[in-house]
Formats: sequence, C-alpha cells, structure tokens
Amino acid sequence: MDGLTLFIQQIINGLRVGSVYALIALGYTMVYGIIRLINFAHGDFIMVGAYALFFTVPLMIAAGMPAWMAVFVAIIVCAITGVLVEKLAYRPVRAKGTNMSALITAIAMSLFLENLAQTLFGASPKQVKTIFDLPMIFGFSGNTFLTIAIGVVVMVGHSLFVKYTKAGQAMRAVSEDKSASKLMGINVNGIIALTFAIGSGLAAIASLMYVAQYNQVTNMMGSMLGLKAFVAAVLGGIGIIPGAMLGGLVIGIVESLSKAYIAPLTGGLITSAFSDAIVFSILIVVLLVKPAGIMGKNIGEKV
Amino acid sequence: MKGKVSLLVAIVLLLSTLVVPAMAEGDPVKIGVIAPMSGSLATYGESTTNGIKLAIDEINAAGGVLGGRELQVISYMDDKGDSTEGANAFNKLVADGAKAIIGSVTSGVTMGLATLADSEGMLLLTATATADTVTDGVHGVFRACFRDSFQGEVGAKLAVKLGVKKVAILYASGDTYSAGLYEAFKAAAANLGLEIVAVESSSSTSDTDYTTQLTNIVASGAELIFAPYYYDSIGPYIVPQARAAGFTGYFAGADGWDGTQNTMVEDKSLYNNCFFTNHYAPDDPSDLVQGFVTKYTETFGAASLTALAALGYDAAYMLKAAIEAAGSDDTAAIIDAMYGISFAGVTGTFTLDESGTPQKAAPVIEYVDGVAKFYSYV
Repeated sequence: MDGLTLFIQQIINGLRVGSVYALIALGYTMVYGIIRLINFAHGDFIMVGAYALFFTVPLMIAAGMPAWMAVFVAIIVCAITGVLVEKLAYRPVRAKGTNMSALITAIAMSLFLENLAQTLFGASPKQVKTIFDLPMIFGFSGNTFLTIAIGVVVMVGHSLFVKYTKAGQAMRAVSEDKSASKLMGINVNGIIALTFAIGSGLAAIASLMYVAQYNQVTNMMGSMLGLKAFVAAVLGGIGIIPGAMLGGLVIGIVESLSKAYIAPLTGGLITSAFSDAIVFSILIVVLLVKPAGIMGKNIGEKV
Repeated sequence: MKGKVSLLVAIVLLLSTLVVPAMAEGDPVKIGVIAPMSGSLATYGESTTNGIKLAIDEINAAGGVLGGRELQVISYMDDKGDSTEGANAFNKLVADGAKAIIGSVTSGVTMGLATLADSEGMLLLTATATADTVTDGVHGVFRACFRDSFQGEVGAKLAVKLGVKKVAILYASGDTYSAGLYEAFKAAAANLGLEIVAVESSSSTSDTDYTTQLTNIVASGAELIFAPYYYDSIGPYIVPQARAAGFTGYFAGADGWDGTQNTMVEDKSLYNNCFFTNHYAPDDPSDLVQGFVTKYTETFGAASLTALAALGYDAAYMLKAAIEAAGSDDTAAIIDAMYGISFAGVTGTFTLDESGTPQKAAPVIEYVDGVAKFYSYV
C-alpha cells in the first residue's frame, strides 16, 4: 500500500468517525441556536436512543421488518426524553436562574441520565444486533457513506424547515428575541419544547448510525461522544447548522490523521494516544483565534 | 442393670470417637486464608476460597499432611479488598498461630501483606496477585499465578509457534496492564527474532474507534497483532474494526480477553485466528483439569468456576507439597522448601523461581466460531 492510498484511507477513516460527530453536533448546535443553552445532556440522549435501539431492534427483526425501522421508536423515546428534560429541569431554571445555572442543570441532567441507565440496565456493555448489511465501497464500510448522506439530508432538511415553515420561522424569531416573539403571539415555551423534541430526535438518528458502526451500548457512551460533538459544534460555529456538519467532519479527520501520522512526525515522542488531547486543544485554539467558529460571524455583544 | 450396661457402652463409644482420631493424626497444622469476601470484589474472593476449600477437603480426606495430620484453616478472613482490613486479618491469623497464610486475591492488598510477611517471617502464598512486583524484594512470599508481564513473553512465543515473522502491537498507553504487557512483548519479540513492523496506541482501553491505528497496521504488512486489551473493547471494536480494515492475520491477547465471547458482534467468524493466554483452560482434556472441573462443579456449581478458583485450588496443594518437603510444620522450613519447588497442578506444571513466582507454560485459548477452545500450552 503506497503512501497516498494510505493517506486517503485515513481520511476516509476520519470521515467515518467524523460523520457520527457531525450528526450529534447537529442536535447540539440546533438547541443552542434557539435557546442559547449548551445542552450537555445531548450526548446522553444518544445513549437513551442507543438503549431504545438495543431493545427494539430484536423486536423489529422478530416482526420480520428491517432492523433500522427501530429508529422510529428510538426517535419517539428520545423526543419524549428531551421534552421531559426540558419541561422538568431546564424550563424552571430558565424562568428563575441565569445562563450559568442552566448550564449546571444540563451537566446535572447528564450525570442523572448516566446513573439512571446504570441502575436500570446495569454497567456491563450490551451488544446490539447488526442493523445494516451494507456492501463495502472501495474496501470501506457502507455505513460511513450512509452516515454522511444522512447527515447531509438532515442538514438540508433542517435548513428548509427553519426557512420555510411557520414553526421554523417561529424558531428563528425565538432565537433572535424571546420577549419580542412573545409579543408577536409566538408560544415561546412550545417552540422551545419543539426544538428539544427535534434535537433529541436527531440524537436518535445519530445513535442509529453510531450503533450501526460500533454495535455496543453502555451507560457512559454519551459522555465522550458528547464532548467531541461539542468541540465540533464550537469549531464550526455553535448555533450554525452547516458549521456543525463541517466541524464534525473536520474533528474526525484531525483525530484520524493525528492518530496516523503524529508518531512518525514527532519521532515517536507524541503517539496516537494523544489524539484526544489534540482534538481538545483545537477547541482552545478556536476559542483564542476565532471564537465564533469557522462559519461564525463576529457579532458584538449587545449591552 | 440393662440400662447401666447400655449407658456404659454408649460412653465407651463416645470416648472412642474422641480419642481414636487424635491418636492417629497428631496436632493439626494450622494455616490462614485472606480474601475479599464482601464488597465489589466478593466474587473474586468467592471463587478463590472455593478452590482452596475444595483442595483442603481433598487433602484431609486423603489423610492430611506429615503422615496423617489435618491441614486446618483457622479461619477465612475477609479483607474487603482493602489494605488496612488485610493487615488486620494478617495480624489476627499470626496471633492465632497460623504456620502459613494463603492470600490475598488482589495485587494491591497482597503487596501490603507481602511487606508484613517479610518482617514477621511468615509464609505468604497468593493464588492470584499478578502485578509484576508482588514477590520482588520480599522473603517468604510466593504465588501460584504467573506475573502480568509474562503474558507478553507468551504472546511473542505464540507468534513464533504460529510461524509468523512480522508482528504489530496495539496497546493502551494510559493503562498500566496494557502498557506493561506491551513492554514485555516488545522485549520478548526482539529476543525471538520477530520483526515489529508497527506499534500503535490508544489513550485508554475504553476508546471505541481503532480504525486509524488498524489501517496503519494493515499497511505495515503485519501477520499478527498483539492487543493487550479487555473483553469489552476486543469484542465489539478492535477485532471487527481490524477485519473491516482488511486484516486477515492472527490476533494475540492476554487474560483481559477472557469473556470476549459475551461481547462479540454477530459474525463470529471474525474472531477466528484470535488467541489469548489465560491461567487455565477448562476444556484441557488432562485428567487433572477435568477432575477439578467435575469436583468443583459438583460442590459449588459452575457459576463461580473461573481461573481464580483453579489458582486457589493449586495454591492449597502447593502449600501441602511444601509442608511435605519440609517434613515439619515450622514456618521457616516450609519457606525454604517452597523456593524452587516443582509442582504439577490444574493451572500448569511449574517450578518456582528465586523470587517465588512460577515459571510455567500458559494455556493458550483460541476462538473458533465464537467458542473458546483450548489450543495448547506455550
């Protein structure tokens, strides 16, 4: 295998990981875009979706339906979880507290969901049955290509939804100015609940693609995934939908290339084990150099 | 009158049951056992002590030690997996007159006990503490298991046995166990003339995607990957991702792989040509192993029958062998007899080296369509 082929393969490996990050980052960034809340529990919605798939995929297969149809159940479960979390935890805090207390509540929800899952399903990993039996394309799993395709469809679909539907317009209005939207007769809480339902539904789609690639579900799977997707969302410009997609793919490629080439480039001083550190240092660099992210516009703080 | 005769007969019978065994056997040889019996490690303690109990019962049923003296366990002390509790248990057993102590199960607790045993002149025999340094620099401390890094050497020997020349290593640099095995494998591979064509690492054993590292390994032309990870990443991630990246060669792993059959993806054929070392192979056809498996299952059931049980069983028999070789129940004499002792047990045939660690062949297990099968000793 010559150097160039290897390089292309490593890029494709990066896309494989990055496509999953991108799908997760889409949900992250969408919720942030509307209510300016970094929902740290978003990674754990992926976990909720994955457990939903773990239980429903065998039922789908038993019923003679394609395994991926289980995603519809997962979307419903995730959307309900998202709306419940919003109603029970975020809304009361939003009414009373500051942005900081909302952020801390999100971290608390993340820990709560992780521990709840451990109590309900145990700490040992669960194996999900094969969901897609896709052919290899250029020697690589069809899953990667499907994940990217779904990411693009979701991205385009979401942009159209936000631009051309009434609910989408309401979302944009809420994101611009909550109190003015209220005056215009928009049900702000309803729109925020809808945002959470859609964001969590996207999490369910991301869990389908995650589980299709990695087959295993644990109660802690959401924490690292959520962090990486958060970095992806910030890198692309948090709140900007295409930015999340781009950020996810870039993070995946950076991770893959740093794993593949960092050791030879540094003479073995820095090994592939450092790839996570490299990914997170990207976050620091972005925050220092271009805080609004790759696709973000610098807007002065409103005083 | 009739009543008096029968009373007399009864008294004589009663006395005879008390006197006769004592006359035939002499004083029992007292030993102690320390293991975690409660807390999160209780299952480890249960398996190990079950193995010890089984062996002690067999030894006593067959006439005990030193020409008919009973091998008596003063008590099975619970260390709860905690070093302080372990030290308390140790002191209690010494005060109660133990001639030797079997314990403990985990490396952390055992290292604390080892220092105590060294200063007290007590014999400490651990069945299961595998950390490299447990028996280093202390006198009178022994074990029935091999040390962690030994499995790295076995991995390299296995590569030679499988006839490969080019090997690659994938390990978790942030994990002591994985990094230790990597160092040992690397050193042994160099000695055995294997060519290490790729070394790749992950930061922890809980990563989920190894495709990039595995692609590099495939590009290096390696015929075998040594992957010291645990079953929860080998089953779902490492092996399937390697096969998807086009790796068709062998995998070699260590005892962390035990349990992979429960975490495999559906296509079990991916795991063919995967080998790992363990402490014993339950399907080893030898009479010793099969006898142990049958007796253990009859007494305690199959659920707790693990490598730890086999090691506990062997530890008790090792102690018996050392007492017989010493010819007395004097602790110093048993310690002297233990160094260099040769022993054939369920977990292999071995000699203790000068540090008190067995030099033994490790059984290699192979996955054949998802089922763990004994391959051979290496």
